[in-house]
Order: sequence, then C-alpha cells, then structure tokens
Amino acid sequence: MPNLDALPAGVARRDPQDYAVDGVVPAAALAPATVEEVSACLAAANDAGLAVIPWGGGSHMGLGNLPAGYDVALDLRALDGVAHHEPDDLTISVRAGCTIAELDRHLAEHGQVLPIDVARPDRATIGGVVAAGLAGPRRFGYGSLRDLLIGITVVLPAGRIAKGGGMVVKNVSGFDMMRLYYGSLGSLAVITQVNMKVIPRPRAQRSVVARFPTLAAAVEAAEAVRTSQLAPTAIVVLDEGATRRAELPDARWSLCLRCEAPPVAVARQAERIAAAVRHGAEAADIVENDETTSLWQRIALALDAAPAADTIGVRVGVAPSQVSVVAEAAMNELAALDLATEMTLDMGSGLCYMRASGEPAVLRRAWEELAPLGLHATLLTAPHGVKTDTDVFGRRPAGFDTMRALKAEFDPRGTLNRGRFIGHL
Amino acid sequence: MDRAALRERLEAVVGASGVIADPTDLLVYEYDASDEAIAGRHRPDFVVLPQSTAQVAEVVRLAREYGLPVTPRGAGTGLAGGAIAARGGIMVVMTRMNRIIEINERDRYAIVEPGVINLELSNTTTPRGYFFAPDPSSQRACTIGGNVANNSGGPHCLKYGVTSNHILGLEVVLPSGEVIWTGGPAPEWPGIDLTGTLVGSEGTLGIVTKVMVRLTRNPEAVSVLLAPFPTIDTASNAVSAIVAAGVLPAALEMMDQLSIQAVEAAFHAGYPTDAGAVLLVEIDGLSEAVAESADAIADICRQHDAMEVRVAESAEEREALWFARKAAFGAMGRLTPNYYLQDATVPRTKLPETLSFVGELSREYRLRIANVFHAGDGNLHPLILFDRYEKGAIERVLNAGTDLLQYCVERGGTVSGEHGIGLEKKDYLTLIFSPDDLAAMAGLKRSFDPLMYFNPEKVFPTSFSCGEVAAIKESGVPVAGGLGLEDVV
Ligand SMILES: Cc1cc2nc3c(=O)[nH]c(=O)nc-3n(C[C@H](O)[C@H](O)[C@H](O)COP(=O)(O)OP(=O)(O)OC[C@H]3O[C@@H](n4cnc5c(N)ncnc54)[C@H](O)[C@@H]3O)c2cc1C
Ligand SMILES: Cc1cc2nc3c(=O)[nH]c(=O)nc-3n(C[C@H](O)[C@H](O)[C@H](O)COP(=O)(O)OP(=O)(O)OC[C@H]3O[C@@H](n4cnc5c(N)ncnc54)[C@H](O)[C@@H]3O)c2cc1C
Repeated sequence: MPNLDALPAGVARRDPQDYAVDGVVPAAALAPATVEEVSACLAAANDAGLAVIPWGGGSHMGLGNLPAGYDVALDLRALDGVAHHEPDDLTISVRAGCTIAELDRHLAEHGQVLPIDVARPDRATIGGVVAAGLAGPRRFGYGSLRDLLIGITVVLPAGRIAKGGGMVVKNVSGFDMMRLYYGSLGSLAVITQVNMKVIPRPRAQRSVVARFPTLAAAVEAAEAVRTSQLAPTAIVVLDEGATRRAELPDARWSLCLRCEAPPVAVARQAERIAAAVRHGAEAADIVENDETTSLWQRIALALDAAPAADTIGVRVGVAPSQVSVVAEAAMNELAALDLATEMTLDMGSGLCYMRASGEPAVLRRAWEELAPLGLHATLLTAPHGVKTDTDVFGRRPAGFDTMRALKAEFDPRGTLNRGRFIGHL
Repeated sequence: MDRAALRERLEAVVGASGVIADPTDLLVYEYDASDEAIAGRHRPDFVVLPQSTAQVAEVVRLAREYGLPVTPRGAGTGLAGGAIAARGGIMVVMTRMNRIIEINERDRYAIVEPGVINLELSNTTTPRGYFFAPDPSSQRACTIGGNVANNSGGPHCLKYGVTSNHILGLEVVLPSGEVIWTGGPAPEWPGIDLTGTLVGSEGTLGIVTKVMVRLTRNPEAVSVLLAPFPTIDTASNAVSAIVAAGVLPAALEMMDQLSIQAVEAAFHAGYPTDAGAVLLVEIDGLSEAVAESADAIADICRQHDAMEVRVAESAEEREALWFARKAAFGAMGRLTPNYYLQDATVPRTKLPETLSFVGELSREYRLRIANVFHAGDGNLHPLILFDRYEKGAIERVLNAGTDLLQYCVERGGTVSGEHGIGLEKKDYLTLIFSPDDLAAMAGLKRSFDPLMYFNPEKVFPTSFSCGEVAAIKESGVPVAGGLGLEDVV
C-alpha cells in the first residue's frame, strides 16, 4: 500500500475511480488549483517515492506504455483559464488545464485562432495537447503547436518551478525548453502554463471533398495539390470506414482539402483546387464556410485515439510521397487478419492512422505486423492486454541513450508517468 | 598536454592541411563577428577542419582523451561570441563540410552538410521551386550549421518562423562521441524531440554534421511595398496596426533615417533619404490573397501618415530593395569606425515606446544609434556607433546596451531575439531567468554533456556554475536558498 500521508492536506481531492489508466486505479487523485499547490503535491509524492500521472482532459490516456506504478493522479483542470492575452501582439499565455474549446472561444472574441485540430476540444486541455505532442492535418498549412510555443512553465518532480522562453515571438535567450517538454508525455515535468503565438482567424474557409474509386487515384490527386502552389492548409484521404465516421457521402476513398484565406481569395482557391483534383474523381464538391469547421471536427474524430476495449489505433510516419505505399501494405496485413479497419491518411504530413477492431490476440498480431512499417510506428491506443510486453512507441530511435539521460536528470526517481514513455522510461 | 603528439594525432585524422596550430594562423579564429571589445579574444590550441562525420567523431574522441574543450564553429559571423574558444582547446571549423547532399522536392527536404552557406542553399533550390525560409541578413556568409546552432532568424521568419521550424532532422556527434541521426522526413518521431533541443543550443550539446532542412514551396505571387514615414514614431505605429489588423506579411522590416542614409550612400537602392523611417513589407501567397492583403497594408500605411506607398514592380526592383536592407550593417562602415549591434525583442505593441526609449538613450549617452530591424517580430537591432579609440566610448556603449535590455525585459521582452547568448549576453540571462529556470537548463546540458567540455563558458551566467546546480539537485530542496545562488537572481 503506498503511503499517502505525506500528500498535502489542503489540496482538493477527487474520486480515484475516475482516473484509471490501462485498468490501473490510483490510490489518490489530487486537483491542485495553483502552481504552488502543484509544486507541493509533486514534491511530497516525489519524496515519498509515489508514482504520479498528470491528468488533463484524460482524452489521450490511451497513449503510453503500461504504467510501472501509479499511485497518484494529478488532475490539472483546476489550473484553468487564460493567464494573459495581448490581442494586438498575437500572443497568449494559458494555464495548463484550460480546455481547447475554452481557449478557442476566448480567441474567437478577438478574431484570432490557435490553428490546431483536436478531436475533443471540450475535453482536451492545452497541457495535455502539449504533453502528447500529436498534431492533426492542419500541420500542413500552419506547422504544429510545437512551432507556435514561445514560452512554458513547468514544475519539476522535486517541486521546483522552472520556466523557459517568454512572451515574445522571437527568442533565443537560453535553451529551448519548449521543444524539450513538447511531446515528452509529461515524463520530465508537469506543465503548468504555456505561451503561444496565435494567428488572425482566417476570414473565410472552404473545403473540397472528392470521391475516388481507388486509393491510387485519390493519392494521385492529393499529390498533385500537395506539390502545387495552391496552398491548402490540410490534405486528408479517408477510406470507406473513415468516410462513414466523418459523415461524408459514401465513397470507397474520399479526399478532403481545406482552404483558409481572405474571402475573395478563398473562393478562387477552392475552385482551382477542385479543378485540380477532378481528374480521376467520381465527384468533387466544394463545402462552404460554415460546414467546413464541423467537417474537419468530424475528420479529427476519425483520428481519435481514446481508449476502447476492442480497438487499436496505430499511427505510422513516413515521407509524404510514400504514404500510399504504407497504406497498401497496412491494408494487406489487416485484411489477412480479417479485421474491421479504418484508415485516415494525412497526406500533407506523412502520417497514416489505422484503426482496427477485434479480439485482443488478433489486435496484438495486427500491431506486430504494422510496427515495422514506415519510418516510425506508434500504438496510439489499445486495450491493456494488447500492450503487455511491447513498446507502444515502436522502434527505439538512435538518440535513446540521450533520452534516458534526460529522464534520469529531470526525474531521477521515476515519479512522473513511470514506465509509460518510450522504452518504458 | 603533449602538443606535438596531439598535433600529430589530429593530422592523422584530418590531414596536415586540416590542422592549424601556429599562433599567427590562429589569429583569425580568436574572435568572431561580435565586437572584440565586448566578447574578448581567446586563442584555441588547435583549429581543426574536418571533411567528414567520421573525422569529427574522431576529433571529439581525441579532445575527450586529452581533456580539452571543444568549440564548434561555422563561418564565424555570430554576434555573441559563440564561436570563440573561451577556454582554448580544439576548435572544430565546419566550413570544409559544405556539400549539398540531396534535394528532394517531392518530400520537401534537403540534406546538407553544416558548412553550406545559407544563400547557396536557397540559390540552388529556388529555381527548382522551393526555398529554405530562414534568411539571416548574413546569408551570404553564414553556414547552415551556424543557423541551426543559433536558431537564427531573418526577415521572412515573420510568416515562416525561425530556423527551428525548418529543421526536420540532424546528424550530430554527441559529447559522448556517439553519432546519431535525430528526426527525419516524417513528422512526430516518438520520444523526446532531440532535434528541437539541439537547435539553438549554440554548439554546447553536440556538433552538427548533417542537417535535414525543410524546403518550402515558392509562393505563387510576391509583392514588395516600400513606405516612407515622416518619423520613426509614425512608422512603428503602422507596424503595430498591421500586426493587429490580421494581415500577416511574409516580412515587415524597418530602417530609420541614419540607416537609410548609410544604405543610400553605399548602394543607391532608391530609399528616400528625407524619410524619418521606412517600412519594407513583403506579402506572398496565392495571387488573389496577395492582392487583397497588399491593398489592406497600403491602406494602413496611408492611415498612419505614410508619405507614399511604392510597389516594387519587377523582380529586379524587389531584389535591389532587399539587397540594401540585408547589407545595411555593412554599410554602417561609412558612418563609423565601430558599431555595437544589440539584439532584443519586445512584444510588438511595445515597439513605439521602445524605439523612443532608444532615442532617449542616444541623447543621454551622446551616441549615434541607427535602427535596422525585424519590426514585425518586435525584434530590435539598434546599432550603436562609436570609435573604439575614443576614451570612455566602450563604457558608454555597454551602459546604453544594458539600459536597453533592462527596458525591454521590463516590458515583457527578452535579451536576445536571434543572435544568441554566447559569451556576450550570458550575464544578462539572470534578468529573465531564476536560478531554478537556469537549473533546468543546466540539467538539459548535463544530460548531453556530463563532462561539460562542449563550448564551455557559453550561455550560462558566469556566477552560475553547474556544480551549484548539481548541489541543489542532490539536496532535493525545492528552493535555491543558502546555496550561494542568491547573487544570480
Ligand atoms: C485527431 C487528432 C488530432 C489532433 N490534433 C492535434 C493538433 O493539431 N495539435 C495538437 O497539439 N494536438 C493534437 N491532438 C492531440 C490531442 O488532442 C491531445 O493529445 C489530447 O487531447 C490531450 O489532451 P488531454 O488534456 O485530454 O490530455 P490527457 O489525455 O489528460 O493526457 C495526455 C498525456 O499527457 C500527460 N499530461 C496531461 N496534462 C499534462 C500536463 N499539464 N503536464 C504534463 N503532462 C500532462 C498525461 O500524463 C498523459 O500522458 C490531436 C489528437 C487527435 C486524436
Ligand atoms: C552582418 C550580419 C548580419 C546578421 N544578420 C542576422 C540575421 O538577420 N538574423 C540572425 O539570426 N543572425 C544574424 N547574424 C548573426 C549570424 O550571422 C548568425 O548567428 C549565423 O547563423 C551564424 O552562422 P555562422 O556559420 O557564422 O556561425 P558561427 O558564428 O561560426 O557560430 C555560431 C554558433 O554556432 C555554433 N556552431 C557553428 N556551427 C556549428 C555546428 N556545425 N554544430 C554545432 N554548433 C555549431 C558555434 O559554436 C557558435 O556557438 C548576422 C551577422 C552579421 C555579421
């Protein structure tokens, strides 16, 4: 039984049952409301040798290896709201627990936007998004959140509060701590505040949605636009299942492209893109302004990796021109296993998302077949049985020894997300 | 150290022509483009010019064996003393590793050796329809390796982001001697983003031996506007208004009257010498969008008292305007024997007041100050003109620089926007970072370089030794009290 006596008494408690990760329920759940409380909780847990999992919206808890210990959930949602926003500077500072939906509402009032895609914006928190480091298809047009971060505040496992960067858009003062913490899955520190560049909300948008009989035809059309100067902000190909999930008209393959620009320009851009993809398509339609936001929200849901009992989500990274090679290989592997599958291809970035449902043993085989594909592969979510004795982050990258050294330096006692990160760090 | 024996071993690795050890030949490596009066001069024991990754790795292993510091260096155009061998040792100069290895248009990347000159890369890819976005004004001389190490910026970083946003992967020789590739042509490699932590680390975490850069598609249309304003004040208000209006130009640069005069005397590029300041604005993208945004920006300039708004009609005209802007620092030689180039960033809304503060400093310290800078990013570059041989001049220059940095920090800004910390600015870091902030950065450093022999004396404040940080870590106390760090705050 972990010794919980040391945990600070003044901090709000939650019901641990609500914080299971891979079937493990922690002994305690704390919801600190200030950075100082976060620091007190962490320092106490670290001292007592307790294992802590930081918790944002909990929407991406499927990502990670099976925990090698889990005593305390640290819910950061009480650390919410916008800390500082100077609209005319196009910069904003937000506390970790602020949801993406709340942030978006705030920015919308000022005609601005953080150009990221998030599957469930009303749940996902900015801290969780930064920690998970996964970007959606708008990466093609805007880069990922990684490139929009300009400052960060974290609490290190021993309780120390440390910041990096600042509130200006250009800054080379000191090491780039934003990039260190981004995507490190909360394995080095707990993020308490992030500063970001935002952009003017595009004054108009359109989408082009085209239907194709074959993957090859859809990919050819996508590639024609990707290598052109037509500058869409996202290019995605969906298979039949993903098309259905995104509530698009039935198609063997759908190609969706997003345009965001000033009003006159966007209309022309959509027409030109539609003309460019029409060749080989069964149909190519333009989706108007209002529909576009909800269309891409639905596509994001098709990529969602929330934990589910009978489903795995796998993401394979590959050079953009090689997406269809990976997609074909994955289809063959999955078809051989007779699994119900869905596939979403982020053609702009080179990320293939596969989802398969079935029996755990077969799902495990599916992961083993998919893991060697492309340049890297990640098991984004899986029932915990499937995760036993595997590294969900796939192949070990060349710099793994340095990653291990970083973990040992920042979290020597393995307090944070113990065993959950790459190589079971 | 047995100098002769080490020299022989180094020569065995890189060849006799790849090792420089004579004091007279070492002279040019004693400083970089930062002012000598400010960054000082330090002689490396050896300069080594490797031609392959394997050679770099071997040199690093020798340095380790002999317990000598390693200082990577590119073209030496750095302005913060980053490429100076502060504690002697072996300087590894990357300029002979200057091949463009691969250009892959379809997947939008190029793999280059670190000694490739920035402009050379752009000149190679632009005709093929792609460009490398970071374009420091020194791009005719500086290396891609230096850009990576300093996370350099340039005019076009306003829209496209700084170097860090354009590096997909790196081959590095780590202080351990290990050679690794980080990242690659696909995004989101699992694990810690080593690429991102290495960019901007100023040669303190590893020697970059290959760089995979992102290539960006040439925009369909480009338009360049030149808008003269009666005063620097009206021009800076226009900058804030453009940023706030939600039209994002590719570049938004300002030059004040003194800079215009220097540039015109040198290049006759057609900048109006009677203006208090000019804005140089580039807009790019889809044809229709460029037309729409250019009109909007021209309107904002007129509303803020622009004397006129001129559109560069031809590619040649655009080139001429940009050439003069990028050569502006060099043109200062016409006005002054020496200049000290400051680099600081403020939130963009604070530009007008910060620029008038620069004017006050000029009067107070009796120093002429020219301003040529990345206005759209809030990244100031006051050039403080002086004569090194005038008594007390350097002191006044330094004091003015310190006052400015303090002012910028108080307004939410920072002490370096793009030139880096190096030797020159390390003691200013305490203006923005607490001992705990710095301790975390020291943790990053130690994870890569536990022996602390890569580019020593850089980035971290003088009074802040990593030993002290280690002491904090072991004691596990959450505050820095009683550890001799008080003076760091
Ligand atoms: C289709 C799709 C598109 C997406 N697009 C984008 C995108 O464009 N840009 C983008 O950035 N993300 C994107 N994501 C990522 C995704 O939205 C986030 O990973 C997610 O929702 C995390 O938010 P959360 O608050 O629910 O995190 P949680 O599920 O609570 O946590 C996720 C992980 O982060 C850790 N964590 C949470 N909060 C903190 C904290 N404050 N400090 C340290 N560690 C913490 C947790 O321990 C956990 O391991 C996308 C995801 C999907 C599925
Ligand atoms: C006239 C002028 C204009 C300038 N304009 C700009 C500008 O607009 N924007 C801007 O950002 N900067 C500008 N600079 C500063 C400078 O040019 C940049 O910092 C540039 O990127 C440095 O490149 P370099 O090859 O000269 O590097 P160096 O000066 O040789 O080295 C700079 C740093 O990089 C490290 N380094 C170099 N190569 C490697 C490597 N292969 N691996 C690891 N570390 C390495 C060094 O140790 C050092 O710390 C300007 C300088 C001058 C003189």
